[in-house]
Amino acid sequence: MSLGRVLRNAVIAVLALLWLVPTWLLVVNALVPAGSYSGSPHWLPQHFGLFGNMSQAWDKANLGPALGNSLLYSVVSAAAAAVIAGFAAFATIVMPVKRQALWFWVIYSGTLLPLQVFIRPLFLSYAHTSLYDTQTGLVLIYTAIAVPFAFFVMRNYALTLPREVVEAARMDGASWWRVFWQIHVPLTRSAMIAVFVFQFVAVWNDLMFGITMVTSRNIRPVMAALADLQGNYSNVGPPIVLAGALLVSLPTVVLFFSAQRFFVSSLKIHR
Amino acid sequence: MAPAVLLVTLFLLAPFVWTVYRSFFSDTRTSPFSWFDNYSLFASDPALSRSIQNTLMWVLGTVALPFVLGLAIACMTNAGRFSRLARLCVVLPYALSGSAVAVVWNFMLTTDGAVNQVLTGLGLDSLAQGWLLTWPGNTVVMILANAWQATGVAVILFLVGLQSIPPETLEAGALDGASGWQQFRHIVLPQLRPVSIIVIGMSLVNGLKSFDLIWVLTQGGPGRATETLAVSMYNETFLELRPGAGAAIAVVLTVIVLAASWLYLRRQLDVKGV
Repeated sequence: MSLGRVLRNAVIAVLALLWLVPTWLLVVNALVPAGSYSGSPHWLPQHFGLFGNMSQAWDKANLGPALGNSLLYSVVSAAAAAVIAGFAAFATIVMPVKRQALWFWVIYSGTLLPLQVFIRPLFLSYAHTSLYDTQTGLVLIYTAIAVPFAFFVMRNYALTLPREVVEAARMDGASWWRVFWQIHVPLTRSAMIAVFVFQFVAVWNDLMFGITMVTSRNIRPVMAALADLQGNYSNVGPPIVLAGALLVSLPTVVLFFSAQRFFVSSLKIHR
Repeated sequence: MAPAVLLVTLFLLAPFVWTVYRSFFSDTRTSPFSWFDNYSLFASDPALSRSIQNTLMWVLGTVALPFVLGLAIACMTNAGRFSRLARLCVVLPYALSGSAVAVVWNFMLTTDGAVNQVLTGLGLDSLAQGWLLTWPGNTVVMILANAWQATGVAVILFLVGLQSIPPETLEAGALDGASGWQQFRHIVLPQLRPVSIIVIGMSLVNGLKSFDLIWVLTQGGPGRATETLAVSMYNETFLELRPGAGAAIAVVLTVIVLAASWLYLRRQLDVKGV
């Protein structure tokens, strides 16, 4: 092996180890039984207290309802956004609609603006309409936020499809509704899955709306619960907080690595 | 199309217009129309000037670090046996949420956290400190924590870019006697241009929008020292109860984000031909 190769491998090894340290400490210290935590970080696993810690985090931060809520918000919003964005992409690309560029910008502009711009008007109108602190309210917001980017991805994907299929179906007398469900949806399935996975993770990881639009512990999503647990860091102790963080991250980590292909493809479509 | 237009208009565009409108009214009890008074707070309010400084640091850090580290790691791990494993270590944090990253780094950075433990163990007690307590160090360590998470996606994107480079171009370069560095500089780098623009644009916008990490780690404190514009807006609106000032910050943030988005949107839309 040449000197350059050795040097390169050394640099890779050092970087990888450096990167691994926080993750390693997260796992190791989430394993330390909360009672026997000595006050300074452990570097090697000794006893196995992970499940005990997780169940304490579960109780202290009401993680049960929070996980259920986040699952509901993520699945419903991501699926709804994928379908609604699919409709919109279909309408602006396949159907002969006038002023396509205008509609494109109306929908797409939503993803360019920072979320901070929406939050107070939404907060006020929710307070007026009893949507505040409800599951329906959060699902609506998450869906609305997810639609613009989902639309962008679906539209770019739809642009690559051959138009002849749709034209043939129309010639045979199929309605637009049938063309959408029987031809367009099957053809764009991979983009739809990519959009779903991407938005599922985005909704699951949201913190800002979770701490703003909700006060009850049985409505709030999981990241709001985690932030609450972190706020009690000195009382609860590091192993329990870390075990909680690990627990709420597991679904998205598993999803990320099992659907990495879709992630990469949605990022590529983004280009 | 109607449902999408309706949802976006009702939940996103209407609130946006309302926020812009609100930013021109002051925060006294009767809220009179006050032209640009809320915007002049950027000059007079020390917390907001600090927030602008921090935002600039965040932008520089979130663009430069993931770009350089991502490119370096992608190039070094493009081939080789251990490289898949090494790459996994770097990509792993990207799967975590901003809040979880904040929990992990709080554990690293608190006074009796892992970083200070290592420093003390190495006999460098004098370097051990409250990392999140003094400015500008606290902003810098949070930018590093963000880079820890965000480099993963840059690595993925650069790898996609690297694999789309035709090997013939490298072989031709090697035949002509180009050294490793010359090949990288004159053959690889130019062909990575499209990917680079995406990485820079994405990091820039994400850096401007970052909220979770700062909020969970410091809530913008101590004494509003680590706020960026995204956090300041939240603080002014919901904690200081000055919605007019909050609205003005949101509008300024929007203008900056739009300007940043333009950087890579211009290319995208040219290609796609809207």
